[in-house]
Amino acid sequence: MNWLTRLLGTRTDTTSLDAPLRDAIASWEALAAPELGSAHFETRYVVINTEATGLDLDKDRLLAVAAIAIDREHLSPHDSYYAPLEPDAATALTNLLTFAGKGPVVVFNASFNRSLLERALDEHLGLTPDWTWLDLHWLLPALYDEHIDGPARLADWMKAFGIETFQRHHALGGAWAIAQLMLAAQARARALGLNTPRSLADLEHSRRQLRRHG
Amino acid sequence: MPAAASEMLVGASSDFLTRFSPFNRMEPEALEFLAERATLAFHARGSEILTPEMGQPTHFHIVQRGKVQARQLGPASVTDYAAMTLGPGECFPIGAISAQRPSTNAYVAVEDSFVFQLPAEDFLKLMQMSPVFHVFCTQYIASLLNQSRQQLQSTFAQRAAEQQTMTTPLGQLVKKAPIFVTPDSSIRAALEKMSEMRIGCIVITDADQKPLGILTQSDLLPRVVLPGIDLQRPIGDVMTATPHVMSASDSAYDAALEMATHGVRHLLVVDSEGRLKGVVSERDLFTLQRIGLRQIRSSIEGADDLEALQRASRDIRQLALNLIAQGIGAEQLTQFISALNDALTCRIIDLARAKHDLYGIDYAWLAFGSEGRHEQTLSSDQDNGIIYACPEGADQAALKSRLLACAKEVNENLAACGFPLCKGNIMASNPELCLTLDEWKGRFGDWIREPDPQALLNATIFFDYRVLCGNERLGDQLRAWLNRTAKAYSNFLRLMASNALQVAPPLGRIRDFVVEDDGTIDLKKSGARLFVDVARILALRADVASSSTVQRLRQAGTRMGMPAEEIAALIDGFHFIQLLRLRAQHLDTEHDAPGDNRIDPDTLNELDRRILKEAFRQARKLQLRLKLDYQL
Repeated sequence: MNWLTRLLGTRTDTTSLDAPLRDAIASWEALAAPELGSAHFETRYVVINTEATGLDLDKDRLLAVAAIAIDREHLSPHDSYYAPLEPDAATALTNLLTFAGKGPVVVFNASFNRSLLERALDEHLGLTPDWTWLDLHWLLPALYDEHIDGPARLADWMKAFGIETFQRHHALGGAWAIAQLMLAAQARARALGLNTPRSLADLEHSRRQLRRHG
Repeated sequence: MPAAASEMLVGASSDFLTRFSPFNRMEPEALEFLAERATLAFHARGSEILTPEMGQPTHFHIVQRGKVQARQLGPASVTDYAAMTLGPGECFPIGAISAQRPSTNAYVAVEDSFVFQLPAEDFLKLMQMSPVFHVFCTQYIASLLNQSRQQLQSTFAQRAAEQQTMTTPLGQLVKKAPIFVTPDSSIRAALEKMSEMRIGCIVITDADQKPLGILTQSDLLPRVVLPGIDLQRPIGDVMTATPHVMSASDSAYDAALEMATHGVRHLLVVDSEGRLKGVVSERDLFTLQRIGLRQIRSSIEGADDLEALQRASRDIRQLALNLIAQGIGAEQLTQFISALNDALTCRIIDLARAKHDLYGIDYAWLAFGSEGRHEQTLSSDQDNGIIYACPEGADQAALKSRLLACAKEVNENLAACGFPLCKGNIMASNPELCLTLDEWKGRFGDWIREPDPQALLNATIFFDYRVLCGNERLGDQLRAWLNRTAKAYSNFLRLMASNALQVAPPLGRIRDFVVEDDGTIDLKKSGARLFVDVARILALRADVASSSTVQRLRQAGTRMGMPAEEIAALIDGFHFIQLLRLRAQHLDTEHDAPGDNRIDPDTLNELDRRILKEAFRQARKLQLRLKLDYQL
């Protein structure tokens, strides 16, 4: 319903936000788009994960956001972000934008996470980021078909790689696991000659197409 | 709140690290330093993580998941055989990064692996700030062995202290609930109780169970029987009032002193409120004192019947338990056990000889197998034989039957002292194993010239002989001849080598260990024997006289130009496996089950598992050496 709410003009006006938030959003908007043709070892990917009241997009609300960067193929505990939407959703989401920059952004199961997040960003900040989204839900079976050769649950992929995490249903706990899967995905992609964020995006696109027509 | 997120992730990393040594012992601030700075990277199967060509290492690595293999590169030498696999919690390179020189190993992921990495300068800072980490790095293998020994020590210390030392608190020595009566009970009732409970003394207490007096068996004659006292009178009239009382927290040593000072044989033990807890007798204390190395030795030498020797044999087991508790290494431990068992066997032979006329016979008692190698564990069967000389013109048949009769008694008495009879009848009472020097040469010569599978098996038992008592020169002559002959038949040694390689160390490619169907590893068959079999061949080749595996490795290895540290690593590996065997047997005998050398690696702690892995790697290295030497 995003297009409709937007059309009806109920979206938040950025001008209603506090000055520091407005400045932060302005400097985020001024950031250059990422170079999607550079190599993984030169790229900062941002893994984003959400925590919601449930799994129903129509009814459930976003509770918290978490993000972990994979900078030049390394996960560093310091390059991470977590915030609940209460009490100040606008600040929580603005800081997420600042942390994530212009992406590329990595999620597991975009159809849920991306929709939920875009709706919240729109509601509270009145914007929709033009990120390149990479969805491991599609990429992993394309890269590691010896483990699982079709879309599967996060828990199954964690099991396939023996990945453990703390508090699986915490947004950051999930992000920690997804980030490790992304490390594995990058290494395999490189071995297959898919050296850039763009080539990963293309792979994901063709997978979705195949799935749709097959 | 970015700080909260990184705190959680740092926490996750340190939670992981604390599952492994040395990180679990590291100072909290050092651990935090490490967890904060370590980043996680992924290495696909087959990719190189660090090689000598990469120059001075820029990072220290800790495996989080997966497997990394370290392969030694460079000019071929004996140290280049082994590839070592590192699993979760294991780290590399330690030497290269501390010394700031290129690694001599190539580290390659053999599985898809997640590996933490720490910048080299942070590694050096960590060494400075954490003494634990410093020790770990500088004494890598040695410190692992020590820790394991310490751990072993604490497991046994408690039981050993309870059972055997003079520092034991009296409260722990008291095994039975106290038997007592009040002073108005009749003498008859008290005596009936003593008789019923089969006790040497009875304690008289007040209503609160506080001791008032004691009456012992030796008091009965002068105080009750001779004066002809009426047994209906109260016991209070004849008891010894104000008995010697000690607190439950006093030591056995304090009690011994008290008994010696006052010339009493019983002491009453009371709790902190003065209530009777039990009685300690002189005999209880004596049992404690008996179990020392010197005491056992002199009790063996002074023993003049089987019963005394059986007691000594039980004491040897107790002593072994004590020694493990004191943290003694496997080498010394087996030497002590072996020395005491030798003394015991010699005493049994002495006692038997007194009953059989062996006058004028020149002979030696031989020990074979593990006893021959000084590696007897607590469940070894007896394996023995006799070598003797038959003087010119003597009646050999008569002479031999005298030896056999004596040997039979020795074998039976050894069995009564806890050395089970050999199922394969490898015993001196077997006429086939009571032979002259020439007959032994003939027997050994047949096996060497025609090495069929049975001959090779025999060689693994009999070639490890040593003289336990009697004329040593007979044994020396046989050894000199044997080493000379075996060396001349290179095909025999080659077949021995191929036999020795039939069992591989139970190291898995995927799992740490390859276990048998019941989930265990046989530490004798798949562990100790791998070292023993190779050492025997090296000793025959290098003309080493000793029958002990450690001595064989040390002497033959040195003669063959193996680097000293490599020999030491082999011996450490062998000792660790022996220590685990002894430990398993101890724990088993506590439950009255026979020690059987089996160990379930899942029941070992992380540290022991890693050392065991290292020990098996050493066995593999030794086998690879043999394989190359004989082109097998």
